[in-house]
Amino acid sequence: MIRLSRAHYEAIVAHARQEVPRECCGLLAGQGERVERVYPIANRADQAADLFAERDLMPRAGADPALLPTERYFMDPEELFRALREIEAQALQHLANYHSHPATPARPSRTDIEFAAYWPHVYHLICSLADPDRPDLRAFRIVDGQATEVPIVVEDE
Amino acid sequence: MAVTILIPAPLRRFTNEQASVQVEAGTVGEALTKLDAQFPGIRDRICEPDGRLRRFVSVFVNGRDVRSLEGLDTPLREGDEVGIIPAMAGGR
Ligand SMILES: [Zn+2]
Repeated sequence: MIRLSRAHYEAIVAHARQEVPRECCGLLAGQGERVERVYPIANRADQAADLFAERDLMPRAGADPALLPTERYFMDPEELFRALREIEAQALQHLANYHSHPATPARPSRTDIEFAAYWPHVYHLICSLADPDRPDLRAFRIVDGQATEVPIVVEDE
Repeated sequence: MAVTILIPAPLRRFTNEQASVQVEAGTVGEALTKLDAQFPGIRDRICEPDGRLRRFVSVFVNGRDVRSLEGLDTPLREGDEVGIIPAMAGGR
């Protein structure tokens, strides 16, 4: 289970909406199962074509790198590093990564599952905007290539 | 130069859960070699067999990505912090 306040839930959905048609991405930090901070991170998938191509995870042969962020995310490494340092400095834990699926369901894709191999100890949240009026935020554990949905509890304060 | 290498959570199983390791090194590449001497196998997670940095790993000196510096040849000064993180990436 992962618990987040209404304000954090709204912040993730707002970030997803703001980036449409591109995927958004970021980190969630907190203690135990409770999220206390949201860290939006820039999506630099346009600069990571080689990373996806190396694993045969490009959306289509010859895809325009400028359009990659509409179907892939790659967190800006320096921003990610700063956020992880700040989380440790504040004695919080890195609990989760989040990203959006602007037009597809909130289910981990093959690309999500492959890259999650390096981060089995965190939750992976996906915010789907397939129905723009009804955002669908879901959380998963992804271990050894297997994704298992985990309940999200949104707490009204 | 005495430098500190910050170990990311996904690689701490190699370092007995230590979050940072001190080594003496003049370049980033040398720091990774010294790290691997203390914790065998960890460099294979960071570098390809031919020695290049793996594409899904970023290495930092004082928060700057070494890809925008001199890569593994980036020189180190006393007290520098070398960071390592695997990519966070995915898609639809
Ligand atoms: Zn995804």
